[in-house]
Amino acid sequence: MANLSPCLAQMSKLSLSAGRQIAHSLPAPFLAPATKRYASNTKEKKPAGNPQKNKQKGVVEKKKKKGRTTYLQYDQKDSEQFSLCDAMRYIRAFEVGQKPTSVKYDVAVKLKSLKNGPVIRNRLRLPHPVSTDVRICVVCPPDSKYAEDALKAGAVLVGEEAIFDAVKDGRIEFDRCICQTDSLAKMNKAQMGRFLGPRGLMPSTKLGTVVKDPALVMKDLIGGAEYRERLGVIRMAIGQLGFTPEEMQRNIKTFIEALRKDINVLSEKINKEMVEVVLSSTHGPGLPLNGTFIDPNSKITPRELSTGA
Amino acid sequence: MVSVLQRMRALRTLLAIRLGPGAAILPPEVTRIHLDFAFRINGGHRGARHFWRQFLPRLKYHNPGVPMTVTRHEAFSSPATLTIHYTSALHLPSKAAISSTTTPLTSSAPVPQSTPIAATVTTEVINMKDKPEAEILAKLMEITKAKTVRPTEEEKRMIKDMEEHQTRTDKDRAVQAVETARKKREKAMLAKAQGEVDALIKNM
Repeated sequence: MANLSPCLAQMSKLSLSAGRQIAHSLPAPFLAPATKRYASNTKEKKPAGNPQKNKQKGVVEKKKKKGRTTYLQYDQKDSEQFSLCDAMRYIRAFEVGQKPTSVKYDVAVKLKSLKNGPVIRNRLRLPHPVSTDVRICVVCPPDSKYAEDALKAGAVLVGEEAIFDAVKDGRIEFDRCICQTDSLAKMNKAQMGRFLGPRGLMPSTKLGTVVKDPALVMKDLIGGAEYRERLGVIRMAIGQLGFTPEEMQRNIKTFIEALRKDINVLSEKINKEMVEVVLSSTHGPGLPLNGTFIDPNSKITPRELSTGA
Repeated sequence: MVSVLQRMRALRTLLAIRLGPGAAILPPEVTRIHLDFAFRINGGHRGARHFWRQFLPRLKYHNPGVPMTVTRHEAFSSPATLTIHYTSALHLPSKAAISSTTTPLTSSAPVPQSTPIAATVTTEVINMKDKPEAEILAKLMEITKAKTVRPTEEEKRMIKDMEEHQTRTDKDRAVQAVETARKKREKAMLAKAQGEVDALIKNM
């Protein structure tokens, strides 16, 4: 107790002198409000996360404009449509003199769909593959039977640690990546998702790229093509310029049928619909298709469109 | 996807590929046209490239069955040529459709062979070097005796429509340009005034 009382006295003295000092040392009158504001700011509590709870009474908040939940649809009556042969004739004229192997036909399918709903994403093997030179990497123990089979099936890279190191160094020398089920844990541990994820190469069970036997899936991948819905449209390369109308017809048919199946697989609540199919090419315009192969009044024959260049 | 109307307006350029210089039907004896010129326009290869870009699509549209190929090379000292391949009446390909068009094929069926091109009997070469594209086309038309395609009544009407649309857009664009310039000027003036005020406050 004896110790405490002088201490208290000192404190009270200090506080008193401090108060006086502030009053004296105010350098200019216009600075006062600033210090005041600062003090009031520190007193105020920061609002907690929930804006509903912190709503002040009597203050009407401005309502946010609600956006569309579906993609904009256009009136298809305005659209001029073409038969496949007519569209190919135009595109072949636009692509004259280009290399028939490097120029590709591509098809865009517009869907009626929700912006925030599930998207269609799948893989497909076209009857006439567009490109067959896909480099595939298989992640599995390098001395296992799977590795042997995968190499036989045409994999470029097979292994585990060697591939992870290469990827970490930035050497991603493949276009597709498949993972054997047992190696997935190792792959995740090596944090491959950070490198492969942004490129869409990371294997996942959802996509069917994490499998028991990689060699089986590889057959589908070689000559297979992936497609996914982006902003309500699915786009995919559907053929090379040198393809005949019949080949194109078969490819487009297969693609549309695959899409139909994908749409049916989705739950019943989600209502997706194909609205239009547009055929385009590397340098050509987009020509909406009307679903017929050849116009009955057309003067050309599919045979004329079958020449290589 | 881009709006339908916008795309359809873009598609009206299809008219331009159907009609205009180069829209001509070649006689059946012509089996192939081949162009050979340099990647760059130096050394007289300009006309050749323009011919390819402007007229060849029209020619291809009206003669879809005639292969038209282009080979380009680095050296512009080499010649720029247009080769027309002819076949004689004897060697004309039969008009019968190839098997793939007559018999329905399953998706697993083998790929049908492309149309066999009739054997070339004679060739004729046009020198394209140092020549404007119009001259090359005139020469080609003269040699092959190709029939020019004239626009039909409906197509003439469409061309007129497109021209009217073009003049309308040009007018609108001019009006809009004036308006945009005015807004830009006002904005610049405002920014300048704001800057002066800020500078004054700073110097106070």
